[in-house]
Amino acid sequence: MRNYGPIDDVTVFELYPGIQLNRDNIEHYRALAEQQLVINRCQDCGYWIYPHRPMCPECWSLNVKPEQVSGFGTVFMFTLLYQLRDPKSHIMEPLAVAAVELVEQKGLRYLSRIVNCAPEDIAHDMPVRLTWIEIGNLEWPAFEPVPEGQR
Amino acid sequence: MARHPLRDTIAVVGVGSTPYGRDLQRSHLSLGLEAAVNAIRDAGIDKQEVDGICGSGMTPLAQGGAGFLSLQGSLGIERCTWGVNSWLGSAFVHAGAAVAAGLCDTALVVQTYMREPNMSRSAAADPFRRVLEQFSDVASDMGGGDFAKRWVHSGEPYAAWMKRYMHDYGTNKDAFAYMAVNNRSHGSRNPAAVMQQPITLEDYHASRMIWEPMQIYDMDVPVDCAEAHVITTAERARDLPNKPVYIHAMSLGGTRVGEFYENTLGWTENSHWVAAKGLWDRSELRLDDVDLFYPYDGYTIDAVGCVEAVGWCKPGEAGEFLKSNWDPVDNILRLNGRTQVTTHGGGLALGRAGGANFYSEAVRQLRGGEGSRQVADAKSALINIGSFFHDPSAVMLRAD
Ligand SMILES: [Zn+2]
Repeated sequence: MRNYGPIDDVTVFELYPGIQLNRDNIEHYRALAEQQLVINRCQDCGYWIYPHRPMCPECWSLNVKPEQVSGFGTVFMFTLLYQLRDPKSHIMEPLAVAAVELVEQKGLRYLSRIVNCAPEDIAHDMPVRLTWIEIGNLEWPAFEPVPEGQR
Repeated sequence: MARHPLRDTIAVVGVGSTPYGRDLQRSHLSLGLEAAVNAIRDAGIDKQEVDGICGSGMTPLAQGGAGFLSLQGSLGIERCTWGVNSWLGSAFVHAGAAVAAGLCDTALVVQTYMREPNMSRSAAADPFRRVLEQFSDVASDMGGGDFAKRWVHSGEPYAAWMKRYMHDYGTNKDAFAYMAVNNRSHGSRNPAAVMQQPITLEDYHASRMIWEPMQIYDMDVPVDCAEAHVITTAERARDLPNKPVYIHAMSLGGTRVGEFYENTLGWTENSHWVAAKGLWDRSELRLDDVDLFYPYDGYTIDAVGCVEAVGWCKPGEAGEFLKSNWDPVDNILRLNGRTQVTTHGGGLALGRAGGANFYSEAVRQLRGGEGSRQVADAKSALINIGSFFHDPSAVMLRAD
């Protein structure tokens, strides 16, 4: 991964040409480019807001800023993909996609891949932690099991 | 009870369908027009009596699409006082609401569906279908390389819900299997169905795995097709040739989940539960009165969710309930010993129409005259169409 230094808006647009970037989500992608997972958080009441929205649904504050999350969570729900949306793609072993419930808040979930884990070993409510995988010359968030001793 | 001024004041008077096929080599607009013409002719009205249109797709300006602007121009309808585009369970409800509110007197609903390039290799090889996807408005923001946005308008969370449902309730795939076999049995008796072969429980369990635990027989069949409905006032309906089918009560349902489906609420909090409560707060007919039941089957878990949401059984008990309400002679469901389910085969057998064909079948059955497929003495139908996350409907139709 290249070191981009301070990443300005134009660079974020260049790095993520396929993403519908807007004023409410650009900080999330700027952080991804720096290998950080950030989620919008209400600065008045502390509520985490996801997807990337500009107002807190709990207190209606517009004072919302992205904050880094711990990267720890549990598998709320998951499926193993044997076939991808692109019918031309072939996958050798099933791809695990999971809604990871982040420890920061009940119901705060981030959709991601589960890696470093045999598909048959993935279980509901299994503790996982953030890691990064390279796809298309960019680093993207993924989650892996938390080793037994560290749970 | 909720405020409910529309009760039985509006009626479905026209139904029109196209043939269903995997590759009809036609546009959305062409399919939509055929269904619209069939529905208006079926209603027995002059086309200029239509003064409101609910079209397909998300933007009325889509070229070659069956949006309300294209439909009005193509059909040569001079004046409309109401128009909107919609989909899934909502389209029918919006049109009924517009007539009930007096924004128009006679609303035409047209819903078109086509097999999309992401649904099969042969569809992906078809340049007409690729162009459709390129200019599609719904599929435009599905991530663009960001895996975290993968569940915006995705079927995968339904597969994840199947797994979570079985885990939370300690159950197996029986509920999904019985629903799939029921729909395919009915499809085998419907000459219009794309899937004419019935399946067994064994066939279901042996079918190809797509998104574990979801298998190919859990998924509706992508086709090219269109359905259209004409809705007008009950008063006008009584002067028209068809037996009126009254809209007794209806509801939509929204939750705070929004567009990222991984934010799903609990099993009993998804949008079908909201729509069901909205209906039961308005309907004078209760579940015991329901002669015909039409739960949407985009995936079998949609239909299973609807079974539980409207209250046929308790949450998590659909597997046992469907198994104990199984007719092994006809290989179909008869809920509480009598209520038939998805009598046309639904999306799993007739083909994928976003649930629009459930409304068509319910109206035709309530009119009577479906020949060997007619369910005797059917007077009421409960229809639940839509997503766990958006645009669910709960609609009670009745006839005299
Ligand atoms: Zn707040």
